Amino acid sequence: MALPLPPGLTPSEVGFLCEMELVTVIPRQRLESLELLGGPTQPLNPPFPVPLPLWLALLLKRQRRANIQPPAWLNVPSLTQILEFETAETTAAVFSPPPGLPPPTSTAEEEASYLASETLELSTPFLKDTHTSRAQADALPYHWLELSHLVLTHAGDDVEDADAVRRLLRDLREVRMSKLRKGFRVLESGAGLQINGVGGMEVAEVRGFVGGVVDGLRKIGRSREEARREREAEEQENGFGSSSYRDEDDDDMQL
Amino acid sequence: MADIADILASVSGGPSIPQSTLDLQALTRAWVNERTAPELLPYPGELVDRIMQRIATQIEAIEMMNATADPSANFKLVIVQTELERFKFLVRSLLRARIAKIDAYPHHTLAMSQTSPANLSHLESQYLHHHQHLLSSHYHTAFLSSFPQGLRKLDDTAGGISMVDKPDEDTAVFCRILRDAGQVEIQGEQGVGVVELHRGDIWVLRWRDVREGVERGDIELI
Repeated sequence: MALPLPPGLTPSEVGFLCEMELVTVIPRQRLESLELLGGPTQPLNPPFPVPLPLWLALLLKRQRRANIQPPAWLNVPSLTQILEFETAETTAAVFSPPPGLPPPTSTAEEEASYLASETLELSTPFLKDTHTSRAQADALPYHWLELSHLVLTHAGDDVEDADAVRRLLRDLREVRMSKLRKGFRVLESGAGLQINGVGGMEVAEVRGFVGGVVDGLRKIGRSREEARREREAEEQENGFGSSSYRDEDDDDMQL
Repeated sequence: MADIADILASVSGGPSIPQSTLDLQALTRAWVNERTAPELLPYPGELVDRIMQRIATQIEAIEMMNATADPSANFKLVIVQTELERFKFLVRSLLRARIAKIDAYPHHTLAMSQTSPANLSHLESQYLHHHQHLLSSHYHTAFLSSFPQGLRKLDDTAGGISMVDKPDEDTAVFCRILRDAGQVEIQGEQGVGVVELHRGDIWVLRWRDVREGVERGDIELI
C-alpha cells in the first residue's frame, strides 16, 4: 500500500534515524558478537566500553544489562560553553558549528549507479564518534536533540547532574529555534538558505513552514521570474542578433 | 581501561567498514532521499536485492535459533529480531514511498519509464501498467465511451494545457553536501545569485538544482 505521509521525515522517523547512531555502552554482562544485518556487533566484555547503536544500547539498558556512557558533549560544562556561543552577540546569526568532518573518502564517478557502494560517502548516523564518549566535546552533532532526549528519558541515571543538563538542553533548543525563526526573514522565493549546524529534529520541525513559504513565494513570483528568464534569453539572442545586424551593415557598406 | 581500548583500536588501524554496514548506510540514504524528494528516484535494485537476500538468511537463522530453544539464547533472539524489524521497516517504507509517488503521477511515471527503464523495478512497472490498464478500461466503460472521440484521451497535451500531472521540480528541499559539489544558481528577489556547495554544508535549495548531485552521491537529502 502506498505511504499516506507527505514528503519529509516525521519526528518519529527522525528518532528512528537517530537510533542508528553509535553510543558508548559499559556492559554489565558478557555477550558474544552477534551477526546482525547491519554488520557484526562488538562482543560485550565487562567492564570495557564498546560502541553500539543506540537502539541496542537502550534495549540493554532497559534490561539492566548495560549502562550508557553519555556522549562527550552531553554534560554541564560542554553544554554551558555551547550555550554561551549560541547566546553571544557576535554569533547571533549562526548556529554553533557542527563537529568537524573527516575529509571525504570517496569520489564521484560518472559511470557509477545511484547509491553504488564504491562512491558512497558516509554521513550521519554512520559517522564515527559523533555521539560516543569520544565525540568532540564542544560541538552539537546532527542528532543532538533526539539523542539527548532518548538518553535522558531511558538512561537518566547514567547522566551526571541530569536536571542541569535537561535545563541547558531546553535553553539551547529555545535559543536555536528563535535563531532559525529569525533566519526565515531572509527566505526568498528561490530558496537558497544555508543553515549549517542545524539538527535533525529542528529540520523536521520547520520543514513544513520553510518549504511552504519558499514554494508559496515562488508561485507568487513565478511570472516575474519567467519574465526575467525571458529577458535574459532575449538579451542573449540580441547579442547574437546584433552581430548579424552588423553583417547586414557590412553588406550595405559593400553595396 | 578505556585508554587501553583506545590504544588497541588505534594500533590495529581501525577495521575497514564491512559491506553490510555500507549497505545499511545506502539503504538509509535511499529511504531518506525517497521520503523527502518530490520526484521518483532511480530504483537501487542491486542494493535491495542484497538486503532482501540477507533478510531471508537472517529469518532462517532465527528459525534455527528458535528450534534449538536454548533459554540463554533468548535475549540474543530479541536483539536479532528487533534489528530485523528495523530493516524490514526501512525496506517497506522505501517501497511504499515509491508507490505513493507512482500513484500520484502515473502518466508521468509511465512516460519516464519508457525513456529510462532502470528507474522502476520490474514489479513496480508491472503494477503501474496493470493499474493504469484497469483504470483506463474502467473509465472507458463508465463514461468516456459516451464522450466525443476527441475528448477521450487521459493524457492529452493539446491546447497548451497538459493533462499529465508532474511533480514540481522547483520544490524546496533540505540537503546536506557530502562532497564539494561546485556551484548552483539560486533565484533571489533581486536576481540570480551563485553559491558554492562545500562538504558538510546544509542548504535549502530547489530540487531541480540538487537532483544530479543526489544521483551522483555528492548530496543527500535530509
